[in-house]
Amino acid sequence: MNAASQNHAARLREISRLIDDRPAERIFAVDRRIFTDPEVFDAELRHIFEATWNFIGLESQVARPNDFVTTHIGRHPILVMRSADGKVGAFLNTCRHRGTVVCPFKQGRQKFHVCRYHGWAYDSSGRNISVTEEASGQYPPSFSNQNHDLLPVARLGAYRGFLFASLSADVPPLEEFLGDTRAFLDLIIDQSDSGEVEFVPGASTYTFDANWKLQFENGLDYYHFATTHSSYVDILKKRNATAGPDTGFTAEPEGEQEGQGSFSFDYGHAVNWSIKRTQLYGRPLGMDPARLDAVRQRVGSTRAKWMLRQRNLTIFPNLQVIDILSAQVRTWRPLAPDKTEMVSHCLAPVGESAAARTLRIRNYEDFFNASGLASSDDNVMYEFCQTGYEATTAAPTQGYLRGVADVGHGDSAHSRELGITASEWSFGPTSFGGETNFHPGYREWRRLLQHAAGETA
Amino acid sequence: MTANTIKQADAHAVAAAIIFREARLLDTGEWADWVAMYSEDAVYWVPAWLDEYTTTSDPDTQVSLLYHDARRGLEERIARIESRKSITALPLPRTVHQISNLEATETGPDQIICHSVFSVHVYDPRVAREHLRHGRYQHTLRREGDTWKIARKVITLVNDRIPTVLDFYSI
Repeated sequence: MNAASQNHAARLREISRLIDDRPAERIFAVDRRIFTDPEVFDAELRHIFEATWNFIGLESQVARPNDFVTTHIGRHPILVMRSADGKVGAFLNTCRHRGTVVCPFKQGRQKFHVCRYHGWAYDSSGRNISVTEEASGQYPPSFSNQNHDLLPVARLGAYRGFLFASLSADVPPLEEFLGDTRAFLDLIIDQSDSGEVEFVPGASTYTFDANWKLQFENGLDYYHFATTHSSYVDILKKRNATAGPDTGFTAEPEGEQEGQGSFSFDYGHAVNWSIKRTQLYGRPLGMDPARLDAVRQRVGSTRAKWMLRQRNLTIFPNLQVIDILSAQVRTWRPLAPDKTEMVSHCLAPVGESAAARTLRIRNYEDFFNASGLASSDDNVMYEFCQTGYEATTAAPTQGYLRGVADVGHGDSAHSRELGITASEWSFGPTSFGGETNFHPGYREWRRLLQHAAGETA
Repeated sequence: MTANTIKQADAHAVAAAIIFREARLLDTGEWADWVAMYSEDAVYWVPAWLDEYTTTSDPDTQVSLLYHDARRGLEERIARIESRKSITALPLPRTVHQISNLEATETGPDQIICHSVFSVHVYDPRVAREHLRHGRYQHTLRREGDTWKIARKVITLVNDRIPTVLDFYSI
C-alpha cells in the first residue's frame, strides 16, 4: 500500500467515525458534517453507491427485445437493454472509443446504438458490431486483440422484476443482500394475480438543494408526518367527511392493536409500517371488494391484512418503495453534498381494474413529487435541514433516539406473522415515530467505508 | 373586413383579456379572484413527459404532473397555501408570468381555444434562488351567461426537471 492509498484509508476510517453507534450505551449520533462535507460526499459515491447493489429499474421497463432505459449508479451513466434474444443486460453507457455517452435518451427501443461521435456501433446485447473504418485505421495488433464491447456492470440481478446492479463484484449475492426485505416487495407484487408490477407511464424528475440522506431518513420517518404535512392532513380530513365507497377505505380486523413499527435488516435496509383504525386515505386494492376477496383467497388473510397497511420500505442505498394511498418507487442520485436528483415512478400491480388504476394515479399525483401536496413540503424541509447543518460546529443532532429504549431483538408478534427475521424491530403507539430504523442504513454506510479502508467490518 | 376576421379579432381580444388577467392575479396572490375565473368543472392539466419528445395523453391511465378535473382541486391547493401551514409557502416564492404568442380561435358559438407560451420567473426569497419555468398553455374558454370562464387549461412544461416545488402559482 503506497502513501497516498494509506492516507485515503486513514481518511475513510476517520469519516466512518462520524457515525457514533454504541448500542450498549444506547447512544446513536450522526455528525452534521456527513451532510455537508465534499470529502464525505466523494467517499459515499465511490465506496457506497459505486460499491454495492443499486436498484436500476424494473424488468418490465424493458419488456420487449431491444427495449432500453438509461439511469445512473453513483456518477456512472448506465444503459439497461433487453437483447434481441430477450436477455436483460446493464452496461456502462460510455463508448469504448472516446467515452461518449452511447445512448443519450431516457427510454426507447433500438436494435443498435451508434455512437454519435465516430460511429462505433453496438447491438442490444452490448456487443460491438462496428469500429468505423477499422481496416484503414493502421491499428496495432494489440487493438484488434482487445474487446470493444460495452462494459457490463460487475453484477446484475433481479428479484421478481426489480433489477439491481453493482459496479463492484465484491458484494453478497442479491438474495442475501435483500434478505427479508423481499417479503415486503412480495406484499406489493402479490397484489397482482400474475405476480407482475409495472411503472405507470409518466415518471417525474425533481431536485432539492440538500443532501441525499435527508430523503433516505425522511422515507423512514413517521414522526414528521403530523407536523410537516398538517396542511395536507387538513385537506384529507375535509375530503373524508364526504368520501364515498369508491375511495377504497379498508378496516383492520377486530382486535388488532393500533400502532407504528419497524423492522431493520442487514445491509442497511429497513421498513416502517402502521396499523390504524381510522385511515386518512383509501387505496386501490380497497375499492374493489371482489378483487380484494380474490387476493385474500390467494395470499391468505394475514398477508392481505399487511397489504392494506402503510409500508415504507428503504433498500439501501438508493431505493424507497412506498405502499399507501398509491404506490411509489423513488430513487435518488446524489449530485453534490447539497443537491440531489429524485426520480419517482407510480408503481402498480399488473391487472388491476381501470377504476383502481385511475384512483392509484390520482392519489399518487395528490401526495408525491415536487407537485404533490405532501412531498413538496418534504423537499423544502430537506433544504431547511441543509441550511441548519451548516452549523457544523454544533453538537450532533438529537434525531436518532426515538425508540432506542425499547428496541427489540429476535422475533416479535409482527415478524412471526410475516415469517421474517429482522435484525431489530420496534413497535409503539400511533404517535411513536421511531428512529431506530434509521440506524441500519448508517451502520451499512459505516461498514462500506470501513470495508473500503481495508478494515474487516 | 369579413365576418370571419371580425370573429377572430374578437376571439383574440377575449382570450388576451382573460389570459393576461389570470397571469396578474397569480402573480399578485389574488387567488380567490383567480380561481373564480374557472368553471366549476374545469380541467387543469400539466402532463408529464414520457420521453424527450412526447407528453402523456391520457390522465386516467398515465401519471400527470398535475391533474384536476374540477375547480375544487385548485381550491384545495389555494386553501393549503393560505392556511400558512405548508412549508412550501413559508415564505411564498415571488413570481412573474410573461405570456405571449397568443393564437385564439373561436371553435364554437360559445367556445374559444387559445394557444400561448409562457415564462414564469420564480424567485424564492428564503434562499435567494431563482429559476425560470417555461412552456405552452392551451386555454379553452367557454361562455357562461355573460362571462367567459376557463373550462380547460393544459400546461406543457418544457423544463420538467423540477426544482423543489411546483404549484399552481408558479406555472
